[in-house]
Amino acid sequence: MADPDVLIVGAGPAGLAAAVELAASGVSVELAEQRGTIGGAIYRQPISAATPVPQAAAAKARWRSLSAAFDESGVRVRHATVFLGIEADGQVLLDDRRSGGVVCLRPKVVILATGAVETVHPRPGWHLAGVTTAGGLQVMMKERGRAPEGRVILAGNGPLLIAVAAQMARLGNPPVAVVEAGDPFRRPAAGLGLLAFPGLLREAAGYVLDVKRHRVPWLRGTRLAAIEPQGEGFAVTLEDARGTRRMEVDRVALHDGIRPNDFGLPQVGGRGEGPLVLHAGDCREALGAPAAGADGHRAAREAIRHLGADRTANSREGRDIARYRKAQALLARLFAPLPEALPFENLPDETLLCRCEGRTVGDLRALCEMPDRLTGREVKHNGRFAMGACQGRFCAANTAVLMARMRPEAPAPTPVDLTGRRWPARPVSIGALMQAAPENTDQDKEMTDEVHK
Amino acid sequence: MSGATFFWMGRSIPFQEGESIASALDAAGMVSFGPGVPPSQMRFFCGIGACQCCLVRVDGATREACLTAAAAGLEVEPAGGAHG
Repeated sequence: MADPDVLIVGAGPAGLAAAVELAASGVSVELAEQRGTIGGAIYRQPISAATPVPQAAAAKARWRSLSAAFDESGVRVRHATVFLGIEADGQVLLDDRRSGGVVCLRPKVVILATGAVETVHPRPGWHLAGVTTAGGLQVMMKERGRAPEGRVILAGNGPLLIAVAAQMARLGNPPVAVVEAGDPFRRPAAGLGLLAFPGLLREAAGYVLDVKRHRVPWLRGTRLAAIEPQGEGFAVTLEDARGTRRMEVDRVALHDGIRPNDFGLPQVGGRGEGPLVLHAGDCREALGAPAAGADGHRAAREAIRHLGADRTANSREGRDIARYRKAQALLARLFAPLPEALPFENLPDETLLCRCEGRTVGDLRALCEMPDRLTGREVKHNGRFAMGACQGRFCAANTAVLMARMRPEAPAPTPVDLTGRRWPARPVSIGALMQAAPENTDQDKEMTDEVHK
Repeated sequence: MSGATFFWMGRSIPFQEGESIASALDAAGMVSFGPGVPPSQMRFFCGIGACQCCLVRVDGATREACLTAAAAGLEVEPAGGAHG
């Protein structure tokens, strides 16, 4: 089989939309997806025995039309396949988890659509087993069609918490509380702005009503400041303007927003003999699923233009994305943390910051107090922050924020200063790399020809 | 219930067709997936293959439990603190 002209990484809304558009234009395209199923985190499909998690009608309709269009496109999906990076000579490296070897391809365009990761701010005890992200709890619930068992507390910041709470309630185990750093009821201007987005408002109102109906306490202007093991579960400390209190729970799910999952990805553009690299969807700008779909179409059209197959110019996606950007900005204002619930305040030195390498706030403070001002890169090399298996996805941004707070006079580092940008974008075994093989080279053909001579 | 099981440290864990190893372990009450870099333990966290907290050994290969589908007879073990 020949190399595809376009390789898409990630079968979420952006990747699928791009695949549909490219196939419709007659471009040869393949999709690499890390899981055995398509849909991404947002459209995670239930296993065959499970009942689907109740979803907003608009979201269900979006998935129905996208998955039907994708099925019809006939685009090949390489499942259980993880994007590693692009070699200096332009080869795209994929880790094929089923064969156990690395595959090398030479597409003309690579569209990276690796979605978003959740932000989780450091708090004492956030690293304990039994503490997950709210999105992690939600994808498991979508997969299984069952709410997690026991007393669950959802905590952090942003609209996802209330959505997960509503879904848990509909599945029969509402959370014991939703702890929210912001307070939408105290941001009337942003609330009024949302009137311009009736679909979003309808969805949000549905979640809030469900949570109210099940009498789930929505503790706004509150932060979950610490988690301690207690018996089989946890004791959590909650802080608000009135003071501090403790609650006993079995599971904790944290979420402080989302950001692009662009860690270690090659940047947009073309280099030397390599393919043109495009980013699409939440990994370019985290605006949510509808925007990601529109952005997938935009990226597909850019790919088509690059391949010289352009017929139409269309700016509809640009306008749609601008609208979603405005909606997300309003939501961010609506959920802006109140002063009494700000993150990063009063973190004890023993709070874990980088979990992969076991590095604490105190370790970072010691580095920041050294007479020589360390750069983000040096903090990584000397302190092992952002050096572990998650490659900084969960600590680089937090470490950068804390560095800026610990030495306000120095230039503020960015998460990329810590992580750098180089492949592999995900850990890969040496064994798999040793087996790296071009799938479709002329050499293969020549060798075959030799054998036949 | 399909009746199919895989092995977690020698113990039979039931799973449903299409279910991830992480989901099946969680349903069986396994909160910890073994030792990690101290003071952490390996366990389910992000659910999308990003955090690398749920790495386990699946028939000898290091894999994210949240991405890998369970299959009958698989030998699943803790990844070990070094992550293989």
